[in-house]
Amino acid sequence: MMAGATRTRLVSRETSRANAVAGVAVVLAAILFAMSLAALFEVIPISDPIAGIPVVAILGGVLMLLGGAVIAFGLGSYLGAVETQPSPSAGVVAAAAFGIVWLVLVGIAVGRFLSLGSAGWIVALFVGGAAFAVTAVPREDIGSTLPAGAACLLVGATFLTGAIGPEWVWELDFEQTASLTAEFVIPVATLGAALLAGWAAAKAYGGFGARGRRMGAYLLIYLNAGSIVGVLFLLLAFTTFRGLPGLFTGVEVGPGVGPSVFGIALPVSLPFVMNGVALLNDFQGVLPAIVGTIWLVIGAVLFAVPLGVGAAIFLTEYAEYGRITQIVEVATNGLWSTPSIVFGLFGFAFLIPRFGGGKSLISGMLTLGFMLLPLVLITSREAMLAVPDEYRDASAALGVSKWQTIRSVVVPSALPGVVTGVILGVGRIAGETAPILLTMTGGTFVPGGQTVDVIGGFEFTAAPPFVANPELLQATTALPFQLYALITAGVGLGDNVASPEQFQWATAFVLLLVVLSFYAIGIGARYYFRRKLNHE
Amino acid sequence: MSKTTTQTTDRGGTEDTVETTTGETVEQVREEWRDYSFAGPTKIGVEDLDVYYGDDHALDGVSMEIPEQSVTALIGPSGCGKSTFLRCLNRMNDRVSSARIDGSVTLDGEEIYQEGVNLVELRKRVGMVFQSPNPFPKSIRQNIAYGPEKHGDINTGLLARLLGRSDEEAREELVERCLRDAALWDEVNDRLDDNSLGLSGGQQQRLCIARCLSVDPEVILMDEPASALDPIATAKIEDLIEGLAEDYTVVIVTHNMQQAARISDQTAVFLTGGKLVEYGDTDQVFEDPRSERVEDYITGKFG
Repeated sequence: MMAGATRTRLVSRETSRANAVAGVAVVLAAILFAMSLAALFEVIPISDPIAGIPVVAILGGVLMLLGGAVIAFGLGSYLGAVETQPSPSAGVVAAAAFGIVWLVLVGIAVGRFLSLGSAGWIVALFVGGAAFAVTAVPREDIGSTLPAGAACLLVGATFLTGAIGPEWVWELDFEQTASLTAEFVIPVATLGAALLAGWAAAKAYGGFGARGRRMGAYLLIYLNAGSIVGVLFLLLAFTTFRGLPGLFTGVEVGPGVGPSVFGIALPVSLPFVMNGVALLNDFQGVLPAIVGTIWLVIGAVLFAVPLGVGAAIFLTEYAEYGRITQIVEVATNGLWSTPSIVFGLFGFAFLIPRFGGGKSLISGMLTLGFMLLPLVLITSREAMLAVPDEYRDASAALGVSKWQTIRSVVVPSALPGVVTGVILGVGRIAGETAPILLTMTGGTFVPGGQTVDVIGGFEFTAAPPFVANPELLQATTALPFQLYALITAGVGLGDNVASPEQFQWATAFVLLLVVLSFYAIGIGARYYFRRKLNHE
Repeated sequence: MSKTTTQTTDRGGTEDTVETTTGETVEQVREEWRDYSFAGPTKIGVEDLDVYYGDDHALDGVSMEIPEQSVTALIGPSGCGKSTFLRCLNRMNDRVSSARIDGSVTLDGEEIYQEGVNLVELRKRVGMVFQSPNPFPKSIRQNIAYGPEKHGDINTGLLARLLGRSDEEAREELVERCLRDAALWDEVNDRLDDNSLGLSGGQQQRLCIARCLSVDPEVILMDEPASALDPIATAKIEDLIEGLAEDYTVVIVTHNMQQAARISDQTAVFLTGGKLVEYGDTDQVFEDPRSERVEDYITGKFG
């Protein structure tokens, strides 16, 4: 038998109570993690008490409980009270991590509260080294629980004793005056301590050894994934809650109160999305910007998708793979990473003189179309390369020509991939500000009467080209630009808006809604094409 | 003669192995080993066919005549050029940009490697079934109707339907006939609109055969059609091939010598270097091979 290897029992009993302790510790860590995230985003204000107890005290108490449980489990395992299968050591990586954590913790504590000067750093280094040794040298059950539990206890005690309270401010002695407030420090410290102790608790729950390490890794991965989803959700919720009051300003429900569409008066009046900005409006709105954004995206997609897909067909199906295709590939990748302001300048210098000399909707559409083009090309090319050659062979063996094969086999198989590319691209261009600032936007605020009406704008003329559309040549506005103008200047709203901040948030919220609806359309289209491909 | 052998030996690594395992000078290929006389008319005639992929000499002076309405098996070790040979018969090798083809292939006496050959017409007359089943990601019905629709033989488009000229009945007849001929109708007739990728591997391969039949070919080329299938599905495909030989000329590449012996009327053995070594009646090739190397190969001494 190898040295240090222990025989484990196939079925272990009597560990259920100890395991419950470790399990509770894992749950506590997860709760702490969620609470500290919520506190960080000010969903739970740390200065307010919950059920009469200050939030800081709750965090501190739970931290101490968690630290105590972790240490107790580790000691119990070391003394043989709990049946586990620990490795001889927790490992160098864990030791280095704990060493650094303790170095920083003690360094800050000594520097803030004891003011020992440079001697403080010697103390910190010493403690950090000790944490390294405690992690690396003893058996795993002590090595991974003691430093983590002790860190938890230390942080918890700091909170409980009030050494760091809600009013605490950490003045940083940098050249620029900067300070960290308790609102930031407390959640972050809790987050870190909860992660460490949660990891140790998960290892303990798995009984250390290989299974314990797996549990520890699971915990870190799940908390990571959970926090990413959580942050995304918080961001959406934040914008929504801030945006709703502005969006519903002056809302009226009742027969005939809304503007009439095709001769029928709508039963809802929502001034924010149905009005423009005008001096005499009771409530200001962003209708021209919404319509402008939608037409912008439609125009850019109509321009870029046929060109991009066509180029992709040429590159994958017709062009011999070689220098030319490689150059095109490098060029498209470069174009995709080109800053949007460069596209804007191109539109300003090239398109505007060619479309009537002034900023116009069509210049904006084409500029954004140019931006979208490389992504559509790249993703369509990838999607077509992924279509198996067997399909092309099968079609050729039936005597079907290349173009018909592309049309009826290659492109349908590649469509879901193409749509994915368009979705990604639309997400980018719909929120672009810089290019449309240079090519499309006229006045910051456009009255509702000047909302672009591309469909209604078509006119028949007596002379060729027989069809004209002055609406396309009109300067207009779009949501991201309007938001930018509102934030940087706050101009043009006059006194007709109760709260400019509400107006801004409502604009951001509507922009988010517009982009999300484009996503929804795209995802729906992709789902449709995939279904058609796979199930019929 | 021995000089040419040395040259081929120098070209590729596989020939070396052949020499070392047999441990003697490579036996010379004699013309008479490829003599095969048959009663019926010749469907495909091949003369001095050479194929190069870049510098690689994949086929070396192959000549043979394939009789009409029969099953011809092409066997040989991997990399011997039998698939290359097969793909020359409907000019699928044209799709490989590095391929260079010399020599002559005739279909019913007409040269297919000449200016002005209509590839669409050629591939309609000479169909092909591939090694791994490759139905399109469409419904079973669409898979069968694909070829005729693209050739304009069957028109069920929107315009045709509006003008009352839709060939829907003809399409249904075609789908049923092809699926019946491919022995698949009974298994799928209640789900013709299902995606073909939901079929089992053996069913997919029979669907590919049915799709191949849809354009009324005269010759069907099969490139190891059963190599990806289980024994039961393989048996079904073999039965099917024997039946097809009543109406079509079947040329089949296979790795499985028992399969070749079971289903084919004549067998051509390719050995390394892209050479056709022996061609003759299947019974004769398997029971009394004229070449020593072919005998070694068939009895499993190499390959």
